[in-house]
Amino acid sequence: MMRPRVVITGMGVVSALGVGVEANAAALVRGESGIGQVRYLPTEHHEFPVGEVKMSDEELCHSLQLADGPCVSRTNLLGIMALREALVHANLQGHPDLALISGTTVGGMDVTERLFPEPLPAGMHDVHDCGASTDIIADNSGCFNYTSTVSTACSSAMNALILGKLLIESGEREIVLAGGAEALSKFHLNGFKSLMILDRQRCRPFDQTRAGLNLGEGAAFLVLESETSALQRGAEILGVLSGGGNACDAYHQTASSEDGEGARRAMTQALADARSSPADISYVNAHGTGTPNNDASESAALRRVFGDKLPPVSSTKSCTGHTTSASGSIETAFCLMAMRRGFLPYQTEYQNLDEKCIVPVSGKEPPQANLRHVMCNAFGFGGNDSSVILSRYE
Amino acid sequence: MNRVFVTAIVKDVPAGEYARYLPPMKARRMGKLQKRALVTALKAMEISGVGEPDAILNGTAMGCMENTVQMLGGLVSEGEEVNMPTCFMQSTHNTVASMIAIFTGNHGYNTTYSHRTISFELALQDALLRLRLGQIRTALVCANDELTELQLHNPTFFGQLEVQDRSEAWMLSVESGEHPLYEIENVRVIHQKGAEDRAEIIKKSL
Repeated sequence: MMRPRVVITGMGVVSALGVGVEANAAALVRGESGIGQVRYLPTEHHEFPVGEVKMSDEELCHSLQLADGPCVSRTNLLGIMALREALVHANLQGHPDLALISGTTVGGMDVTERLFPEPLPAGMHDVHDCGASTDIIADNSGCFNYTSTVSTACSSAMNALILGKLLIESGEREIVLAGGAEALSKFHLNGFKSLMILDRQRCRPFDQTRAGLNLGEGAAFLVLESETSALQRGAEILGVLSGGGNACDAYHQTASSEDGEGARRAMTQALADARSSPADISYVNAHGTGTPNNDASESAALRRVFGDKLPPVSSTKSCTGHTTSASGSIETAFCLMAMRRGFLPYQTEYQNLDEKCIVPVSGKEPPQANLRHVMCNAFGFGGNDSSVILSRYE
Repeated sequence: MNRVFVTAIVKDVPAGEYARYLPPMKARRMGKLQKRALVTALKAMEISGVGEPDAILNGTAMGCMENTVQMLGGLVSEGEEVNMPTCFMQSTHNTVASMIAIFTGNHGYNTTYSHRTISFELALQDALLRLRLGQIRTALVCANDELTELQLHNPTFFGQLEVQDRSEAWMLSVESGEHPLYEIENVRVIHQKGAEDRAEIIKKSL
């Protein structure tokens, strides 16, 4: 049986770089970073830079024409914003037969931590759990008759993309919106602080002086569709989701193995799934968090997969911060922008060579590039390692 | 396309049996749900004779609530001076599926669904599609949730979602083996605005 080709016909993105695909692409091309001092999260920890979406909850509600209130979760506002853009982009508003797969871990934790130790007020719709978040985001448009939530920490949104691909390839669904949404919360800021992996300066993935990550927030959804459906609808095809892979590092709950075995397996599987060889890949958007452990482990894995023919690699977390559960779809969307507009996303922060690490694309402006196949990585707690490959539609 | 069989189902292994699967030294550092989840998974592997499933999937409505509630409590009592690394790293929803993989050294596909009362069914659907297409040949599919004191005292503390305190593990295989329990034909998932999400496992007894 020929498996249907899974194409991408729309996307919506919100990150510290801006609201919408245009704003994010323009900021990437200009080499901007959205990381700065905390403004919207009510935390005392001003010593840790963050990549916040530059709107308050109230402004987000106003812009979305939704009612504000103490039980409105920022995760959902960011998700609704990205999902609306994706639906408009793919010309699917009002479509009655869509599936939504969202990746999140924080979900409505921002609301819970605001209320705790008081419970959710009686009579309120559920907001805390991850599934409630997905359903609230889905029901804002009313287009969805299938919803699902992946929660594998920082690889959640990428695993949502991989599941979306499976649903289409198996013939279960024709069109799937897949991605993730995650707002900053005091819960996970203090959690990452407890793990001592937050940098007090702007994060510097793969740099010898790197000292941790900066947390970010945002949302992105991609419209995945069978090629047949896209052609029938006359939809513009932006690219192909040609490969996906996931493996477990099976090493430690939060640390990555020295040789990056899980990451190596995920990338190798994604290549096999795309029926591609390492030499086909013209750019890798690394997970590259900026923690000493992740970047060394990912570099080891990249070297094992690509040998001495390593394609250009960069981590855009120096522009957005680590958007945790949403990072997999935000960065896959960045890869699609780069492929369509012909540039290499580059790191805004990199100076010092670390022998243990690959050398990322950095400099004053992003080099122009002709990208045919690109790889994007997202790794999560528990050694949950995922990788996808996007290809130009030809 | 492959047929998909359920070759073992294990529910809530009693605490008396834990030592058979889990050295007490290792169990000491684990929470209540983690122990029960791990032992239930290990017993399903033992009964099915599949020690290294190609995939480990978990469904959890609320995730690891004991650690989540502890961390929330820490934020209230200590404010942002709070320092709870272990609690935080074990509060994420995929702690259980990862822990099973780390304990058994399993590098296969590993994922977690957290979608209200149909989390397990969504995990089962993912496994079913991969098995059918031949991407994998065996899959361990689990359901795990715990109720904290807070929820026992006030069931709607975190919302109306009804959570079952349970650990369950199913072994799925493309081979029927000698004593298959069911053949899974389909998993139907339905979302409708304003109604609870529904899922139906269509299976045939063998």
